[in-house]
Amino acid sequence: MCTGRVDPALVAGAFKKGLDGLLVVGCYFGDCHYISGNFQARAKMDITRKLLKHIGVNEDRLAFRQCSSGEASVFVDIIGKFVDRIHELGPIGGGGDRLKAPEIFEKISTAQAVLGGEKIRWVIGKRTPFLESGNMYGEIFTEHEFNRAIDMIIVEETEVQEILAKLREGAQSVKDLAKALAIPTERIFRYITALKRKDMVALEKVSGRSPIFQITPQEV
Amino acid sequence: MIYEKNKRYIIPFDDVPTGRANMPEISVDERKGNFTEVETGFPEDVALTEAKRCLSCRRCLGCALCWAECKPEAIDFSIPHQEMELSFDEVVITSGQDNAFERISPQLGYGNYADVITDLHFERMLSPTGPTDGLVVSPRDGEVPKKVAIIQGNVKGGDDHLLSSLVLGVNEAILAVNKVDDLAISLISPVCQAFKDRFSGEAAKLKGLTIIEGAPESVERPQEGGALTLTYSQDGGSKKEDFDMVVVLTKPKISPEVAAMAKKLKQDVI
Amino acid sequence: MEEKKVLIVGGGIEGVRTAVKKAEAGANVTIIEKFPTLGAQRIPRDRIITPDNAFENPDLDKVRNNPKVEVMTYSDIKRVTQNDGKVNAKIKKKSIRVDNSKCNDCKACIKVCPVNMYDDFDEGFTFRTAVDYFNSTAGEYNIFKEDMPVCQRTCPVNLDIRTYVGQIADGKALNALETIRDRLPLPGSIGRVCPHPCETACNRQYLDEPISICFLKRYAADVELAQNIEPAYKTPEKKHPEKIAIIGAGPAGLTCAYDLARKGYQHITIFEALPVPGGYLWVGIPEYRLPKKLLKREVDLIAAMGVEIKYNARVGKDITMDQLRKDFDAVFIGAGCHRGLKLQCPGEDDYQGKGIVDCVTFLRKQALGELPKPNGKLIVIGGGNAAIDSARVGWRMGFDEVYILYRRTKKEMPANPWEIDAAEHEGVILQYLAAPVEILGDGNKVTGMKCIKMELGEPDASGRRRPVPMEGSEYTIDAGTIVPALSQGTDLSFLGENSDIAVNRWNTFDVDEETGMTNVPGVFAGGDVVTGADIAIRAVAGGKRAALGIDQYLRSR
Repeated sequence: MCTGRVDPALVAGAFKKGLDGLLVVGCYFGDCHYISGNFQARAKMDITRKLLKHIGVNEDRLAFRQCSSGEASVFVDIIGKFVDRIHELGPIGGGGDRLKAPEIFEKISTAQAVLGGEKIRWVIGKRTPFLESGNMYGEIFTEHEFNRAIDMIIVEETEVQEILAKLREGAQSVKDLAKALAIPTERIFRYITALKRKDMVALEKVSGRSPIFQITPQEV
Repeated sequence: MIYEKNKRYIIPFDDVPTGRANMPEISVDERKGNFTEVETGFPEDVALTEAKRCLSCRRCLGCALCWAECKPEAIDFSIPHQEMELSFDEVVITSGQDNAFERISPQLGYGNYADVITDLHFERMLSPTGPTDGLVVSPRDGEVPKKVAIIQGNVKGGDDHLLSSLVLGVNEAILAVNKVDDLAISLISPVCQAFKDRFSGEAAKLKGLTIIEGAPESVERPQEGGALTLTYSQDGGSKKEDFDMVVVLTKPKISPEVAAMAKKLKQDVI
Repeated sequence: MEEKKVLIVGGGIEGVRTAVKKAEAGANVTIIEKFPTLGAQRIPRDRIITPDNAFENPDLDKVRNNPKVEVMTYSDIKRVTQNDGKVNAKIKKKSIRVDNSKCNDCKACIKVCPVNMYDDFDEGFTFRTAVDYFNSTAGEYNIFKEDMPVCQRTCPVNLDIRTYVGQIADGKALNALETIRDRLPLPGSIGRVCPHPCETACNRQYLDEPISICFLKRYAADVELAQNIEPAYKTPEKKHPEKIAIIGAGPAGLTCAYDLARKGYQHITIFEALPVPGGYLWVGIPEYRLPKKLLKREVDLIAAMGVEIKYNARVGKDITMDQLRKDFDAVFIGAGCHRGLKLQCPGEDDYQGKGIVDCVTFLRKQALGELPKPNGKLIVIGGGNAAIDSARVGWRMGFDEVYILYRRTKKEMPANPWEIDAAEHEGVILQYLAAPVEILGDGNKVTGMKCIKMELGEPDASGRRRPVPMEGSEYTIDAGTIVPALSQGTDLSFLGENSDIAVNRWNTFDVDEETGMTNVPGVFAGGDVVTGADIAIRAVAGGKRAALGIDQYLRSR
């Protein structure tokens, strides 16, 4: 299988199952049978690594390396170095990561939802046109600018997916959400009103002084 | 036209904040008696780090995901802008939907505390089609407040607007009390007497409202996570009282571009 | 009889009400609203409500269904002019990019849109996405697309800052330079002297500090220098035959020439009164801020496009304005503000040239190497950048002591704060709240100045507190040279007497907002002769505007 087909959501799924490291080894640039598969692979893994780092997983647990099928010693070297690094880091959710088990797996679930979501998949796919021929308005992005766009989606989608995941467990107030998540209450308040605008969340009832919000049936 | 007139939403990127780079300079001793360039320019690493601080501000990415998702094919990026020259016999200039307002004294905590809001915010909150579906909640914690103060924001700027903004404040209070049974609202304004004179019949019937003749001085949150403390002057003295939310009545302002147009056409803005 | 046409500006509740009223009275009404939909329900401010009848609703149906009312939302009025009782308006109706007649309000678009921003309609209480409805009641969808980021919008020449800063971040400084040069031919010079209004607008300041945009521009230009790359500015194959004269080789004139050459004009002649190019950049900005060598190189690159620069050619003396207008198809005036204004205090006229020299002359003579050796102390009077430049130049020249007198405090000083700090740092003595009273001399030359202390009184029309002299606080400073650096004006004597080119009461030109043309067809102006003494990048913008105007004018002849 071409490395370009390695889906970021699958990568997150693997880590969720307790994998300690994942190495994607592709062909050299220019050697791709499908012309740009390895470029796509690198872009996807870069973004996945960025997201893992954002949520608190050590980014070294995911790597993208290149070698050709004739280079046995290079391959051995790549594998050896990667395995050494993973040994150094130890099991996922241990000392090598900012987040510890079991919270780390909850966060990786969120990451999986972000990576499986339409927003990030679509924008990753737009990388080449954005950098070369321009967006819908003909504006060409610099790499820095494209990375900023990805950063924006990673940061916000992670927060929104966390909120949705909590609400899937049961209806909650903004105050309770803020207690459970490391997101400022004011921002949760705006996320909730925005999700309500999108018909993804609805007011269930007002309990005492707390408005309780629930996820709408189509989002469960 | 600019969206996000009050404040721009900035995504909380991971690398924020880090201050900007300093320009390297030659020392003062090296400058005396010659005209050597003082600033020596950024070295490459500094320039790259500095450039990476750029937020690359952009709203619509032009990614066309909405277009791809739109089943009825209503989204069309090729609809062009149109420019035209039109001629009129008469022009009426109104202040439009800007809802701009004069600056509020920073002492009143607006912009500093999320639960100090303006009458415009409160109006949207009370609207059945508003962002909270008409629910009265504090934007700080999303809870329904028990005690709300409605205060005049620009007491020094002349009296013309005070009465009309107080009427708006009273109306908002009537609506809020109607929505939340045990809500206590205090209205603090220097023109309460003028209000009572003008609306004597209605003023007598108001329920759940305490109208206080006074002028707000400051709003503070002495304790993190606690209530807001409002200080206001009354009968020559100073009083303090705690509230869950404070609504500041604003003084409307005509946006500069509308004002400029009115001036050019020598007309008033209605 | 033709029906009356009424324009209503603003589609809030008041605008809608007026529109209905006017239409019912028989007029044809157009409502222009800059937001994407008409107004929302409002709580009244003139009567006490009852809870079940709280909101006043604008009569949206009445305006939408009335054939006499045209609603133009998401539209800007670009310009209004009044003429013979008629008002002409130039209107830009921006594309909302959504055909709302097809929209079924399924909200699929707003669920997937990755962009969050504060929702203005709800005063920022919620987020809207880039594609969204503006007013929940009206439910009309639109895609909000900024025409440019705030830095670019603030820049007088609309430099594509987001792109060139991004290119520098990507390690592609030379591409960044190319991006800059697309709109600005003097990146190294402007990157050193610009007071960067873009940085004042930068959104990053709300997190920590603005991006150092100006210095990054300089960095891009410096990379080219460091790598010894000599770029060649390209001109198109297709050439135009018309001849264009440009008065002044300053930032406005040079930019105008650059833009015209890039449009294919090959007969461009710049008439420069001085023996050097750059205008104020050469003779007003000191070497320690902008090395002449660097400026010369940027000018040479423009000259290499086929632009002829005639030095020591003062219009009005070496060639008359009338002759220029005869010999050339279009004339651009970019003569700048090179006349320093007087102090208007006793003794000034007696010692003019004998120790009193205005800042423009002082800086010019220094730049051209025409100043005598410094003697004694130097007093500079004023609080602008020219005052700081004069003082820092004086300090370098070796005056015994250098003073700056300013009648307000540091806070009110119009000079860039970083320049003030640098002057203080170098040892220039800044005396705030002080003003000149009289120039003292021995009959032949200046020997000092009588000053008086000031205090700040009531705010004046500009909102700044007016300085008032403190009685009996006079004091004297000994000095051999006094440099008034108050303000700068234009010198339009080159126009000759009885010129038909209109000059306003500030002794500057009024030009067309879009073409930069004066009242005389074919004569254009830009830079300080239009704006009064202003920053270089706005002069560049004036040159660009005139280049567009000249091209339009010549191509439509």
